[in-house]
Amino acid sequence: METLLSIIFIYILVDNFVLQRFFGICPFLGVSRKMETAIGMSMAVIFVMTMATLVTWLLYTFVLDRFNLQYLQIVTFILVIASLVQLVETTLRKISPTLYQGLGIFLPLITTNCAIMAVALLAVREEFAFIEAVVFGVAASLGFSLALVIMAGIRERLELANIPDVLQGSAVTLITAGILSLAFQGFRGMLTL
Amino acid sequence: MSAHNPYLEDFSRGIIRENPVFRLLLGMCPVLGVTGYFMNGLGMGLASTAVLIASNVVIAALKNFIPPQVRIPCFIVIIATFVTIIEMVLQAFQPVLYEALGVFVPLIVVNCVILGRAEAFASKRPVLRSLVDGIGVGIGFTLALGILALVREVAGQGTVMGPDPESTIMLFGEGFEPMGLFGQPPGAFIALGLLLGLTNVIFKKLNIK
Amino acid sequence: MRDILRLSITLAVVAIASAALLTGMHNLTDPVIQERQQREYLEALESFFPEIDDYETEEIGDDRFDLIFDQEGEKLGVMATAKTQGYEGTITYNLAVDNNAEIIGIRIISHSETPGIGDVITTDNFQEQFIGKSFEDPIEAGEDVDTVSGATLSTGAMVSSISRTVTAIGENFLDMQRKAFDFEDLEDGIYRGSTEGTYGEMVVEVDFRDGRIEAIEVIEQNETEAYFVDAYPEIPQRIIEEQRLEVDVETGATLSAERIIAAVKDALEGAPEGDGEGGDN
Repeated sequence: METLLSIIFIYILVDNFVLQRFFGICPFLGVSRKMETAIGMSMAVIFVMTMATLVTWLLYTFVLDRFNLQYLQIVTFILVIASLVQLVETTLRKISPTLYQGLGIFLPLITTNCAIMAVALLAVREEFAFIEAVVFGVAASLGFSLALVIMAGIRERLELANIPDVLQGSAVTLITAGILSLAFQGFRGMLTL
Repeated sequence: MSAHNPYLEDFSRGIIRENPVFRLLLGMCPVLGVTGYFMNGLGMGLASTAVLIASNVVIAALKNFIPPQVRIPCFIVIIATFVTIIEMVLQAFQPVLYEALGVFVPLIVVNCVILGRAEAFASKRPVLRSLVDGIGVGIGFTLALGILALVREVAGQGTVMGPDPESTIMLFGEGFEPMGLFGQPPGAFIALGLLLGLTNVIFKKLNIK
Repeated sequence: MRDILRLSITLAVVAIASAALLTGMHNLTDPVIQERQQREYLEALESFFPEIDDYETEEIGDDRFDLIFDQEGEKLGVMATAKTQGYEGTITYNLAVDNNAEIIGIRIISHSETPGIGDVITTDNFQEQFIGKSFEDPIEAGEDVDTVSGATLSTGAMVSSISRTVTAIGENFLDMQRKAFDFEDLEDGIYRGSTEGTYGEMVVEVDFRDGRIEAIEVIEQNETEAYFVDAYPEIPQRIIEEQRLEVDVETGATLSAERIIAAVKDALEGAPEGDGEGGDN
């Protein structure tokens, strides 16, 4: 239990996937302009990331590791993630069109969201047990969402700010992310696994 | 300057005008993640370039055999195959670099630059042009990583060619206190933000759109 | 229908070709990787023990110990490969000691300490402090070895881990016993001693009679209750049973355990407060 709580705390705050580990930067910069899209993306990521960690962990432990096929890890993981995204997209469209309207446009983007692949790879590298891996997936996605939502909140205000000409757009977004990351540095070293 | 030569155009486009990092903001994870040291940034750039060139060529060669409906999964498998090969080669022959890049090596597979070029360029163009495009975009990506890594290493560590103690060159005297921030995550964001601002200035001055 | 078949076949062909190619590459590169790792390990051994001819590997817990022999089969020393938790993650390092359990070298294999701060553990200045220290010497952070201000956690973790590893090597491979705290010649009586804990002082009373520790009681403490119950009365019992202070502190509450021992030591180093007769605890 203690380990699980540590994992949650670490991957939301201490080792935040976006601000400290640089996973999932593209969507972080791409969809953080509006709070609404940020929340939509967060939901989609939480869902897919948790599922992806679960499936890839099982696949790695019971197939790849057992038959000494570890070197097929990258190919199988990315296929699992791509199919998962496809599956979620199709199911969502059938079951809940309203939810699909909200999340649908984000789903194709998720396949190349490196945070998803990273969480699958790291769950194996860190030698997490099954439950730990799933909790890790949840925590990492929550950390991603936290960073994304905070960023969206800041950027909505930034729209009204008077920014030097040359720094407008991505430049100021990155510098803002840097300051945000600096704030998260405060959590460094509070907890290790 | 023959603006009509398609090869020259394919080659130069990715380096400056459509630089994947400074202009299009693609493939940002490794850009920020491995640029603490120049050698790591350069190594990551070259590894990604190798994958990009190989996948561009293979996808261009196979484009007529791959039905459009399953095109994305096929591209992904092809890219993932080359990433795995690069990972094996690095682990065998460049162990120091392999350790330093860590999980970012397998993550080349989700670098949107590579899938982006496959989808937008290689799947519609002949092999030779895709090769040239791969080289150009690869150089552009490596260049961006190299510049950012150089800035971060000099500011954050006061060295170049680190972290291997055998090749490290101290740029300043013993008393120099580096700005540690640039070696750390916040510094990565801030340094890239400032570099983007700088490219904006340069592009505006040179009037490149 | 024909379409689906065609799609599946294409995907299958691509996947099979990929798997075949990767299997081939794996068979090519894997031996190189294995051989290199083996060679690097040997090089590390050689850098500490130039005379090395052969080595024997033993594993205790997560740590690996290599006993080093020269050409005549004489033991030269031991190299340990140990891990500890630093400030930001696991630190893996090699520690080499000679036959007298004197440290002859340290090498950090991997760490993720903060660049420019915690990574001082990789510097010669930090590592050289340990060279020449032996099993007999106390190795305590801040006293025998300097920790680096601003990097207290990283350096502190290394200091205590190195101290533990030297002890493990000495006891397991070099037939050494930590020189015990000597209390045989003490006067009978009740001794009182204390130590600083994280949240306040801990005070113990030790009942000492006829050259033996008869009883230990913690009369005041500010430990975290949940941990403290793991160390008390377990640790006093171990001390009384073994009649030495150098007992195993692995209890689930290592810090509390170490504090109890420190307080007992503090008590026995001072003068007795009573004659021991009145003590009925």
